[in-house]
Amino acid sequence: MPTQPPLPPLLTPYVSFLPQSSLTLLSSVLGATGNWLVLRYLYAALSASTNTTFGADGLDNGKKRKVVLVSFLRSWDFWRSEAKRLGLDLAQLSDKGQFAFVDGLSELFYTPQAQTAAPVAPSAPAPFAPAGRPIPPRTALPVRGPPGASAPAPTPAVPGGCLNRAATEAGPGPAKRLHLIGQGTAALDALEKDISDVVSQLKATGAGNDGEEAEVLLIVDQPDLLLAATGPSKGIGATEMGEWVMGLQQHSHATIVAVSADSPLIHNASEFAHHPATPLEKEHAAFAVGLAHRAQMVMQLRNLETGAARDVSGVLRASKGGAWSDDGSTDAETKWEEKEVLYFIQRDGSVNVFGRGE
Amino acid sequence: MSFRKRNIGLSTGPGQGPAANSPAQAPQAAAVADSSPGIRPSPDDGRATTSTGTLSLDNLLAGHGGLPIGKMLFIEENGTTDFAGALLRYYAAEGVVQDQKVHVIGVPEQWGRSLPGLIGSAEAGDEKPDRRKSERMKIAWRYERLGEFGAGVAGSRAPVAFEQNQSTDANQVKPAFCHSFDLTKRLTHPSIAKMNFIPFAPTREPFFASIYKRLQSAIASSPPNTVHRIVIPSLLSPTMYPPEVSQPDNVLPFLHSLRALLNTPNARITAIITVPLSLFPRESGLVRWMELIGDGVIELCPFPHSADALATSGAATSGEEPPQGMLKTHRLPVLHERGGGSDQNIGQDWAFNLSRRKFEIKPFSLPPEEGDKEAQGGAAAGGMPKKEDLEF
Repeated sequence: MPTQPPLPPLLTPYVSFLPQSSLTLLSSVLGATGNWLVLRYLYAALSASTNTTFGADGLDNGKKRKVVLVSFLRSWDFWRSEAKRLGLDLAQLSDKGQFAFVDGLSELFYTPQAQTAAPVAPSAPAPFAPAGRPIPPRTALPVRGPPGASAPAPTPAVPGGCLNRAATEAGPGPAKRLHLIGQGTAALDALEKDISDVVSQLKATGAGNDGEEAEVLLIVDQPDLLLAATGPSKGIGATEMGEWVMGLQQHSHATIVAVSADSPLIHNASEFAHHPATPLEKEHAAFAVGLAHRAQMVMQLRNLETGAARDVSGVLRASKGGAWSDDGSTDAETKWEEKEVLYFIQRDGSVNVFGRGE
Repeated sequence: MSFRKRNIGLSTGPGQGPAANSPAQAPQAAAVADSSPGIRPSPDDGRATTSTGTLSLDNLLAGHGGLPIGKMLFIEENGTTDFAGALLRYYAAEGVVQDQKVHVIGVPEQWGRSLPGLIGSAEAGDEKPDRRKSERMKIAWRYERLGEFGAGVAGSRAPVAFEQNQSTDANQVKPAFCHSFDLTKRLTHPSIAKMNFIPFAPTREPFFASIYKRLQSAIASSPPNTVHRIVIPSLLSPTMYPPEVSQPDNVLPFLHSLRALLNTPNARITAIITVPLSLFPRESGLVRWMELIGDGVIELCPFPHSADALATSGAATSGEEPPQGMLKTHRLPVLHERGGGSDQNIGQDWAFNLSRRKFEIKPFSLPPEEGDKEAQGGAAAGGMPKKEDLEF
């Protein structure tokens, strides 16, 4: 099988054209994960060689596109090393102010004990803080600004020694770490503020040359974990999560959300299921289906129905989401049609995308 | 890839690229292996791996020849048997033998005393080479190295990597990566006392939060280069866990934080968790989310007891043990995180067999139907007149 470029031609129209304020939904299953596709989105937006394609809107040639990646299940190390296989140096890009990573894995639920001893927060809230507890002003943790050429980004007012802690323990990578504290919409609002801070900071860096803010592409990897691990009993349901995503969309040019769509998570909630659905299944199905209705495009990854094969990793189906609208544009570059293709990830991380029977 | 920097450390290991066997990396690989026994670079991409204590399970894990550091493996089991528990004991025993720090969650210390006894190195103690030698005449020499699963990755590729450093320190004995154990004996090893048991104790804190806290402080208080193994037997089983913790908002944050702990930079931790599937079926959203948080998912489907007779006749050759169940791989560490596919073991049907001395995973194949000659003959005899009847 011949090797294809990092961005296979069949895939290019789907990952490089992202209309203003659009939502793209990426669904994956246990055996067909979507990380490689997220990386292709990153590549399409950040790779220097694709400048010509990502100006697909027709207006913004020469305008830099920036990306904020929020990941709830995978570490910075994973994304950095996998992007390196594509020839994308995320660490360097984040130094240049083109990329920012928000770490939703490391300290989302249980904050480490070292932090409990920090002088700023002597009464650091225990995980699963009881209801009604006020949200501490933790959201003001600064992103480690890009140390490089650009002027330091304006950081929000920082209470006390928080700055020190963030600076010392941020470790490798520009990661801002998310903490889920409290319950319900208040907790989600805090997360949203954290993420939007990063987005606005990234917008601010490097701006000023032409006085124009860059477009920021926001990729949220598996926010459905938040929903699964909290649930309605903690005041977070599908509705709240849907609104949360909508809030995030306001801050960015385009948004990509990756969720899981395994059959137990989608189909158990249907009326025809044999057992009564658990709240987890109901809420997950409502969230994922709701997103699909609001999305411009749905990229669906799944296993091969006929069983595993050695030269096929899975099936990719690109279909129109509920919010798809034919804006009458006849631009050949922005045209895409619904399609189902097979893909194969090779050992070196490159991907082959091909039609059935090809 | 030959332009890579040569002084990149190998400890955390991700993304070392496919050219891990290049001579430039071999000395570093040796350094890693020296600094902590039981760690070796993956033949696939050079990341550090450690053994599960079961040679054939190591070989199953997507070409890495072991469980990559920082990965969490779920072993799920249907029915009331405890094959997964045996795998877990091998994993813990391997950790003890390799002087790694073993953390066991939820079971009393008796569990540690029932670890299987050490026989020796699995690669050396394997009887396979002998059998292959006897069959040598039957196989064309060029196919000799192919086909035999047990000699897959670890058997054929790892020695190549080791040969390179044997030239530098020829008189040093290669430390064993995987040992074999005897289930009927008890492990006696000086470092068995160093195992860390985290039993469940009533606390005012939320259940999993206190476990996580104790686990984290145990890991934080150990010397920085320690390799840790986290062993969680029968997660959520109601005989050990209080019923309310099987709510998703209790167990999923715990697993998520465990994943975060494993992914901490510079930490060297692996974890194996077993799940009783009869109580928590895979078709439920909760279990699916647990699997999504994990890095690898392996399902054991033991044959029901009544199938024993059938399985006995089902041995592929008379020399082999009959399989005791089927094994399914739903997700493999690293491979599926990258997108899946391209593993030679993908799409195979696996059968497993637990004997006194080892847990063996091998390709499952339906044997030739033995002992069915009368039926065939009878059918033929009965078939002939029928055929005549059909003729007009």
